[in-house]
Amino acid sequence: MKRQVAIVEDEPAIRDNYAAAFTREGYAVRCYANRAEAMQAFSSRLPDLAIIDISLQDEPEGGFELCRQLRARSAELPIIFLTARDSEIDAVSGLRLGADDFLTKDLSLPHLIARVNALFRRLDALRTPAAPADIITRGALTLDSERMSVQWSGQVVLLSLTEFWMVHALARHPGHVRNRQQLMDAANVVLDDNTITSHVKRIRRKFQSVDPKFDAVQTVYGMGYRWVE
Amino acid sequence: MTLRLKLLLLGLATLVLPWAGCRYAREMESALREGEQTSLQSVAQTIAASLQGRTDLLYREAPPAPVAPAQSLTPAAADASQEAPADTDAAAGNGTEAAAAPAAPAADAVPTKSGPYDLEPLVLTSAPPLDGYSEDWPRVPTAWKYFTSGEHRRFGILTGVYERMLFVLLEVHDEHPLFDAPGTNVLDPAIFGDRVWLGFEDPQGVQQQVFLAATGPGSVTARRVEIGEYGQRTAPIEPRIRGAWQTTSQGYRIELRVPLSMLGRGFGVLVDDRDARGALPVSYGSLRSDDLHTLGRLIVAAPELTSYLAQFLQPGLKLSLSAPDGDVLARADALAQAGALRPESPLLARLYRRFVDRPGERQLIESSAPIYDRDHRDVIGTLSVTQSAQRWIHLRDHALTRMLNFALITSLVAVTAMFAFAAWLALRLARLRQASESALTGTDLVTSFPETGAADELGDVARGFATLLSRLNEYTSYLRTLAGKLAHEIRTPLTIVRSSLDNLESEQVSPAAREYVARARQGSERLNAILIAMGAATRVEEAIGSAERVHFDLVPVLASAVAAYGGAFPGRTFRAELADEVVMLDGAPDLIVQMLDKLVDNAVDFTAAGALITVRLRLEALAAVIEVDNPGPPLPPHIEGRLFESLWQSRPDADSRPHFGLGLYIVRLIAKFHGGEASARNLPDGSGVRFLVRLPR
Repeated sequence: MKRQVAIVEDEPAIRDNYAAAFTREGYAVRCYANRAEAMQAFSSRLPDLAIIDISLQDEPEGGFELCRQLRARSAELPIIFLTARDSEIDAVSGLRLGADDFLTKDLSLPHLIARVNALFRRLDALRTPAAPADIITRGALTLDSERMSVQWSGQVVLLSLTEFWMVHALARHPGHVRNRQQLMDAANVVLDDNTITSHVKRIRRKFQSVDPKFDAVQTVYGMGYRWVE
Repeated sequence: MTLRLKLLLLGLATLVLPWAGCRYAREMESALREGEQTSLQSVAQTIAASLQGRTDLLYREAPPAPVAPAQSLTPAAADASQEAPADTDAAAGNGTEAAAAPAAPAADAVPTKSGPYDLEPLVLTSAPPLDGYSEDWPRVPTAWKYFTSGEHRRFGILTGVYERMLFVLLEVHDEHPLFDAPGTNVLDPAIFGDRVWLGFEDPQGVQQQVFLAATGPGSVTARRVEIGEYGQRTAPIEPRIRGAWQTTSQGYRIELRVPLSMLGRGFGVLVDDRDARGALPVSYGSLRSDDLHTLGRLIVAAPELTSYLAQFLQPGLKLSLSAPDGDVLARADALAQAGALRPESPLLARLYRRFVDRPGERQLIESSAPIYDRDHRDVIGTLSVTQSAQRWIHLRDHALTRMLNFALITSLVAVTAMFAFAAWLALRLARLRQASESALTGTDLVTSFPETGAADELGDVARGFATLLSRLNEYTSYLRTLAGKLAHEIRTPLTIVRSSLDNLESEQVSPAAREYVARARQGSERLNAILIAMGAATRVEEAIGSAERVHFDLVPVLASAVAAYGGAFPGRTFRAELADEVVMLDGAPDLIVQMLDKLVDNAVDFTAAGALITVRLRLEALAAVIEVDNPGPPLPPHIEGRLFESLWQSRPDADSRPHFGLGLYIVRLIAKFHGGEASARNLPDGSGVRFLVRLPR
């Protein structure tokens, strides 16, 4: 059965382009232009994944509200924010509401599809036992690339998709400096320096909430970051 | 000219007040003087009128009315004095040629014209002591009368009146002055030396004679010649006439005092000059030498005239009565008494007077009125009244001083108040100016403005400025967010383009069309790069907002960053000149690096390939200074201060990368976040430009 992707986007051209791409990838796509429409459809059946724009027609923050309602109904439903907004505050609030990723619209369609695929892969992986081949262990860090789950000293650290890929890129070759471009490529995003810096900062903070002494992500000024054990 | 000075000058305009006061005082003074003159004139006229026809007082003539005419006196007098001339005949001998002048009938009472023998005594201010010296007499050469006989005989006579006395000064030129020989009988012709006869009419009109004889210098007595019942002649002393006789180098001098009460109208002097004792004298003078009758008159006012005048006298007033020919007959003087009215004036008042007074006008005012005879035909005298100006000048001074004091104090207060006000205004304006200047040149937007609470026009201006400033602030902040907003707005259509291209690439397109797709993608990528650049400042501001301060060592951060630039910009050489010590700062190393990125970016943009860019960390007492030197073209002078503003750039030519003039603005933002400041200057040797960021330690 085809996986169902819901796209809630008020801009028809973008919506149709996304729908076309996902359809081509073999997904069943359902499109909604506003929150009311989407909620009405979701009340009968939840999609397998939701891509939500933050501002929906006359509701500037409609996407956040939609995300909250969806997350209330399902803890596991992958939710991706896709927005023209790129402010730090929006990203933080989106991720705090339980979104799995926060993406700006300058992301290319292949990148978006890669992410969606990854999220579905994670869903699948969660239902099957973990395969040891997919697990990287670096000191206290345990990284399951299939389930996209990260543990630090046995405790789960909840990372967004972008954050996970960045940690993954760093931790795979500890001690090697990954510059920003490499991190962006790994995360399938195009971001500016400050956004990468804030992503790294968020990653550190998430690890530190588990272990206040966490210091494995090191900044190499002028170059990038590296993982130290 | 400053506002303060202008208002001060304006304040000085109030000095017109004392000036006008002075002018007014002068006007008042002239008016006062005129009034005083008029009243003085009327005083003079009143006194003159009261003296109309009073020749008795003026010239001691017989009172008017039905008195016997003077003519009738003459025979009587002649009879009465029949004897005396006869007595003197022996003494006078026939020296008649001395009295060669024709006898002037003194009968007619026209006192106004004096004949050659008439004597007009001076009005003396004090009684000269009877010592035979002339020093005590006023020096009035015109008042002297001279009589001569031959070439060598000459005497001068000066007369004067003081109170009720007639004073006579005789100056006789005599080559052989000769005293009487001492003897018992003054009537013995053998002892006769030089003798002087006084002849006069007594108040009854009878001719009287006395002679003066001296045996040596000193006081001299007058004697009259009397013929006794039996023809014996005696020469009793006339005690009322006193005098002194002194010899001089040219002859001798006689000073005499005769009570006016003895004297009538006529008066004369005859000198008997002898060259040897007992010789026949040469007689000359103003007496007839035969009968010794008077030839001339004594034109002198009655003693009562002075007391008559004195009754009109007041302090500060001087009355003076003169004959038509100008000789003073009588005067009463109380001018000096007015001085007592004026106390010593204070310094200030004297100072004021210097400004108000015109020189030479303040002393006296005079007025005169003619005195007519009974018939109002002829002028018999002139009364002049002199008043000292002291009294009313004192009054004026008093008023003037008070007025000028008042005006000056008013001026002073006004000037002071204006100056203070001007200073206050200038202060407020200076604050306003400073605020308005720093509002534009300062690094921060000014949100508060001074003086906006003031209720006056300056407050209006300040409020206007504040409004303008808030508009400017709105506009500037709008401009600052414009880039971000624009980026946001363009992102949606760009997403449409890019997602369409993505879809198109998945479709079957001809190789030729694929090329176009590739170009469209290039274009959209560039557009995306522009969007990212436009949003950079906003993101830096966000990053600053969420930045966490840590305590870090600046040196390794800079070292690692500079090391990385070599890779990032292969066309440039980088050199790091960093301190050897640990430089601890509180801040965000990420942002510091980002700031350095921007500075290096800027340096790279303005230099040619192969240029050496130096990053230096210099330590000051309180600050760490990061310097980035590049050998690029020097900064044009006008851009100083604007260099670090948002959305401002000065690039000589276009560049393939998008620039929005945000790089150095970001540098300033980050420097400010660290409490520091950014600046730029040309290198002293003109070899390039140095950008400095001063971070306090």
